[in-house]
Amino acid sequence: MPDGFLTLTIAIPAFIVTVLFWAIALKKIKLTEQQVPMMGLLTALFFAAMFMNFPLVGPTTAHLLGGAAIGLILGPFAGLISISIILVLQALLFGDGGLIVLGANVLNIGVIGVFVPCLVFLALYKLAKPKANRGLFAIIFVSAFAGDVLAAISAGAQVGLSSLSPWFGLNVAVPVMALNHSIIGVAEGFVTIVLIATLLKLRPDVLEKSPILGRLSMFKNKSEVEV
Amino acid sequence: MSTKKTSQKTPIIGLTVALFFVMAGVFCFSYALETLDVKAEELGASEQPIYEPPFPDYSIVGFENELGALVIGGASTLLLFGAGLAVAKVLNKKKGK
Repeated sequence: MPDGFLTLTIAIPAFIVTVLFWAIALKKIKLTEQQVPMMGLLTALFFAAMFMNFPLVGPTTAHLLGGAAIGLILGPFAGLISISIILVLQALLFGDGGLIVLGANVLNIGVIGVFVPCLVFLALYKLAKPKANRGLFAIIFVSAFAGDVLAAISAGAQVGLSSLSPWFGLNVAVPVMALNHSIIGVAEGFVTIVLIATLLKLRPDVLEKSPILGRLSMFKNKSEVEV
Repeated sequence: MSTKKTSQKTPIIGLTVALFFVMAGVFCFSYALETLDVKAEELGASEQPIYEPPFPDYSIVGFENELGALVIGGASTLLLFGAGLAVAKVLNKKKGK
């Protein structure tokens, strides 16, 4: 979102929360040799994916966020840093996203859009313990969908709470963002599945060391889940 | 396919896909009208930029056409790859110490 959409009473606390997450991420991040080039690649891939704006309800459009895929593949801390690199360079080079609201944008896309899919994935995986890829992919889909919708709701809530006009409160901003972004959430789910399925086939070494997907039983006991 | 061979090819394959995304974005999905922007502007909010970026809206000033957007998109995708790789290397090195 651009500058001008959030009041400082919303933008500043969002920036503070983001800085705290950055500090934690920089302290906790762990990358293997295989994950180093993958972080560069996923950063570039989802920056490029943001070039594509898909039509939604009415005249509006939305783009993929990439947080679910990057978070699940590299872990949430590396995912946050990767998304932050994208958002900072988009704002500085292209004016795509404001500087005052940078903290809010990173909070929505880099924190909520990354950590929510990772947490949802871990919870559902523990609950369902899928024995086949179909179950695993269903969990990945739900995780990515949840990340997109919650990131959108968070952005809507921030704008709604900023009370830009008496007609644009939470009751307008949140439902419209949730509805429209549930459509792009479906696309995000499929793209995340395709990317992870490709890596499972071609680069399992990258996923094996992932803080999230490395917990799959296939990496602990290869006979449990067919690849 | 052996993992070693695949790992060498992964950046090339990935960057090719990324450049395909840029092309699709420039030629097929360039129409951008984000929900939040539309609703906010409908209801009285407006953009108030505090900074003039060097390539506003992914364009080169004076060359605001698809070719310019393609060049900017391709170059910035490579830049993002380099930035992501550099940050990852620095973080990996720091943790290794």
